[in-house]
Amino acid sequence: MKIEDVVCSFCGCLCDDLVVEVDGTRVVSVENGCTLANEKFLGDHRLKTPIRRSGNSWTKISYEEAIAETAAILLDADRPLLYGWSGTFGEAQSIGVHLAEILGAVIDNTSTVCHGPSILAIQEVGHPGCTLGQVKNRADVVVYWGANPVDAHPRHMSRYTTYCDGFFRKDAFKERKVIVVDVRETESSNIADEFMKVNPGGDYAVLSALRAIVRGKGDIIPARVEGVSREQLFRVADICKSAKFGAFFFGVGLTMAPGKNKNIRNAIELTEELSRHTKFTISPMRGHWNVYGSNEVFTWISGYPYAVDFARGIAFYNPGETTSVDILKREECDACLVVASDPGAHFPKACAEHLARIPTIQIDPHVNVTTHLAHIQIPVAVAGIDAEGTAYRMDGVPIRTRKLFQGSYPDDLVVLEKLYAIVKEAKG
Amino acid sequence: MRFLLNTGRTIKQGSFVERKNNPSYQVAAATILMNPVDMLEIMVEEGNHVRVKSDTGEVVLQVSPDNGLTRGRVFVSLGPYANHIVSPETHGTGMPDFKVTPVSIEPTDDPVLTVSSLMERCGGLPYED
Amino acid sequence: MPGLLIKNAFVIDPLSGVKGEVMDIAIRDGKIVEDVPSGAEIIDVRGCLTLPGGIDSHSHVCGTKVNFGRYMSPEDMRAGRTARKGVMHVTSGYSVPTTFGNSYRYSTMGYTTILEGAMAPLEARHTHEEFTATPHQDMLANTLFDGNWSIMDAVREKDVKRAAAVVAWTLAAVKGFAIKLTNPGGTEAWGWGGDMSSVHDTVPNFDVSPAEIISTMIKANELLNLPHSVHLHCNNLGVPGNYRTTLNTIGLAPDLNKERQSLYLTHVQFHSYGGTTWRDICSKSEDITMAINSRPHVVMDMGQIMFGRTTTMTADGPMEFKLYKLHHNKWSNHDVELETGSGIIPVYYSRKSLVNCVMWAIGLELALLTKNPWQCLLSTDSPNGAPFVKYPEIIALLMSRKFRENERKMIDQRTEHFVPLFAIDRELDWYEIAVMTRAGQAKALGLTRIGKGYLSPGAEADVAIYPIKPGEIDPSVDYQQVVAGFSRTLHTIKRGRVVARDGEVVVEGANSTIWSRAHVPPEYDMGKDPEFIKKFEQYYTVRMNNYPVQDVYLPRGIRIETEASL
Repeated sequence: MKIEDVVCSFCGCLCDDLVVEVDGTRVVSVENGCTLANEKFLGDHRLKTPIRRSGNSWTKISYEEAIAETAAILLDADRPLLYGWSGTFGEAQSIGVHLAEILGAVIDNTSTVCHGPSILAIQEVGHPGCTLGQVKNRADVVVYWGANPVDAHPRHMSRYTTYCDGFFRKDAFKERKVIVVDVRETESSNIADEFMKVNPGGDYAVLSALRAIVRGKGDIIPARVEGVSREQLFRVADICKSAKFGAFFFGVGLTMAPGKNKNIRNAIELTEELSRHTKFTISPMRGHWNVYGSNEVFTWISGYPYAVDFARGIAFYNPGETTSVDILKREECDACLVVASDPGAHFPKACAEHLARIPTIQIDPHVNVTTHLAHIQIPVAVAGIDAEGTAYRMDGVPIRTRKLFQGSYPDDLVVLEKLYAIVKEAKG
Repeated sequence: MRFLLNTGRTIKQGSFVERKNNPSYQVAAATILMNPVDMLEIMVEEGNHVRVKSDTGEVVLQVSPDNGLTRGRVFVSLGPYANHIVSPETHGTGMPDFKVTPVSIEPTDDPVLTVSSLMERCGGLPYED
Repeated sequence: MPGLLIKNAFVIDPLSGVKGEVMDIAIRDGKIVEDVPSGAEIIDVRGCLTLPGGIDSHSHVCGTKVNFGRYMSPEDMRAGRTARKGVMHVTSGYSVPTTFGNSYRYSTMGYTTILEGAMAPLEARHTHEEFTATPHQDMLANTLFDGNWSIMDAVREKDVKRAAAVVAWTLAAVKGFAIKLTNPGGTEAWGWGGDMSSVHDTVPNFDVSPAEIISTMIKANELLNLPHSVHLHCNNLGVPGNYRTTLNTIGLAPDLNKERQSLYLTHVQFHSYGGTTWRDICSKSEDITMAINSRPHVVMDMGQIMFGRTTTMTADGPMEFKLYKLHHNKWSNHDVELETGSGIIPVYYSRKSLVNCVMWAIGLELALLTKNPWQCLLSTDSPNGAPFVKYPEIIALLMSRKFRENERKMIDQRTEHFVPLFAIDRELDWYEIAVMTRAGQAKALGLTRIGKGYLSPGAEADVAIYPIKPGEIDPSVDYQQVVAGFSRTLHTIKRGRVVARDGEVVVEGANSTIWSRAHVPPEYDMGKDPEFIKKFEQYYTVRMNNYPVQDVYLPRGIRIETEASL
């Protein structure tokens, strides 16, 4: 059976035009997908049953056992951390926040090591953005800064920017200038009209230089700024200022580099400065397909997009303190529930060591790096393949993922609702 | 020799995120990209192993050349190998310094550990499916 | 279920013609009934003021921009927080509370129905997700058409029926309630950094004017026989001298509907400014209310501002950028492809700012100078003028000249030279307040057909009982008691069940979402129209199949069906 308009649950592009052929409970072909989508849909490497570590061996256990023991661990914990959430759908994330609320836990999502600094910047200066269709239909200048879409968001350029014709851009590839700013050459920089190579850690200064030029203070710019020539800075500023519609996209190359949230603040303020001359927007290249959904769901329930601590009864938010890496580094949490992400792979070693030290439970369809650190893992259906629910694209557009077949795994929502019911019963 | 380590997403790493016990994931995550001249300098060839040390820790990786890298800079895909040398310090932002870790690199004959043995060293128990 | 009997209620029920009588109200199976059998639960309210559940006809509580207001404002989240307690979830936020925060605070003020003022169709699913997390109120969504390409194409071709067909398809797809136009044409112009400066300006590339969009949509709305009229946020919001644009807009409205208005103007305070700059801005409330008083087919809401901190948020992206350039705080913007825009900035309305004082006076003047309370409904365009928790103070200001005089001493002393407020003696009475906070909304939104806004048998049993004994207090003098009384009900009853008591929410709640489905002849089904489909194929970034909001998002949807006259 061929299913059309399938939503890809890999990256924040949330492409919704895949055609997937399914035979029973197996995906046999994928059309329109990128390499990452093909791997995701065609790959079938699931953990078969819940597993538990007993001393130096792993044993298979039932779902009931696994969920009951997870509830017991979380109820027994003084400072539980509920981490992940970006790889599942909104309805499950919502139960996660309520679970954290009732447990007095900290709940955090993968933004914490991705676009958390962007959120901090937005909380300082706001975010002039737009949906991706605005860019597709209008933009004549696109800037990728600290982002490598060819590798991380493979269809971003063909669906929304460089290669994508729009209403006011009938021949996008010719009409649209692409500027790439990065510390290294990448597949993306190779196809740029203008590549601005910045010294590592030099983004803040380069952004400041561009702001100065746009403001008419170009005379203070030295011959070189962090590896970029004065001539190139003026040229780039001029391209941006003379754009009819400019779209700035930034990646973790800015959020993880020195300056972090201040880099993003500077980029947003550059966008704001450009908005006084022409139309300009800025957007983060969100990684996980539904990381933005986790920010949205956390926010409407708790008021904060990530790093929410319910230990005081109220929702408390203080990134740097209530963020997962900091909590794990301080060896503060005494149990951790990981849902739909892989901190074992993506957190520094000290954090992985603490995850191994405490009872860590993982709810995830696949064996990943965290599996080796966990006490229990509960496999679930894959959202977008055999589970469905709401996801938020990197620009905030909500799309419902599809369930392509009825498989044998429960989905995140089913498992979390059972867990929540036990915890609620115990907490009264 | 001292280098500046950058980490980030790659399409290979992305392709194997749901198969992290797979040797291909290990290759994607345990490869260090270097400028070919730097490789000459420390006398390693493509596929050779190097020990990469930072103030935080050390890990053995295999080398691959990348002409796009400026001399003195190296790149490792984000993942458990890179995270053996990235500091957990976040400077109050929640975000570690994934992009600028000073490291030293030297050739070694030691093997590149599998993902599971890497985690075993962190206190975990390898799960082989 | 034997039912519920509210005894000794001092009832004001304008739609049923009850203007203040002590009586009993019987409730069974979620409805008001003639009587209940013995054994029914009895609540003796001892002469307390009993009104139909409050209805807010324009508030921003759910959806993309509201949530972004929270997301970007941890300082606002910290400014209002409560811990989990009983059935109540944690809440955060003062001007943009979390969904549960909104729901509990509205509920303890006696509100049982809220219309979200602006939903971008492309992002409707988000609004509906938040609706289900706002469990104590029935929810409705104004659906934005101000910059809709298919609508502007139809307007240019002078094809009212096609515009109606686009509306019918879209409302059904996104489960929207009514047509909202926010700065018509202006949001599309903002896609290039521009705006509309009058109703006769031309939208770039589309060759239509705001006036043409408004006129066409008023007619299209009536062709579809929708419950509500066109709900309009005029062009030039917040600009000195904009009252002319507002008067021109009012002049565009024909009288096409016997049951209700043909045009609803929202937050008119922001559109009633005279003068030419921020230095000489003055009130034009007299001109505006004169126009409204002579046109019974136009209804407005106040858009009152109250002093203090709040967050402004609107689909009017260009306006927010102008405001940002004045305030220099933080600015968010979010344009939505082929449809609309939005912007958010935090503001502080200060008693020390002459401009803010003039704005404050204008809102009150609109209510006091509109002769018929059914034509001027109470609102703050929450949170734009102030968060809705300020409604009780506004009620008290409208009921007490003394309160207004006391405020006069606290504000910029030059204010009185720019506004007529302090020359107005009128004090509204309980009946007028009941009209302006529920009955008028029910009529204007067309919700009486589903039993909202009144308390006679057959109505939905949404009831608010306030700790106010109208015979015993003089609101003109005891205005603080009015504020306290309207801040916290004795009982809020939603669909026959007590949901809040003495300021505490007592049940988890389960609301409904109300939407409009206009049936059109097959030749007007845009789902089969090649031009319309092409917009999805070529210009939207979401496939047409993935665009409609699935039924699963409306677990208790109430569909208002109409037959289009096409």
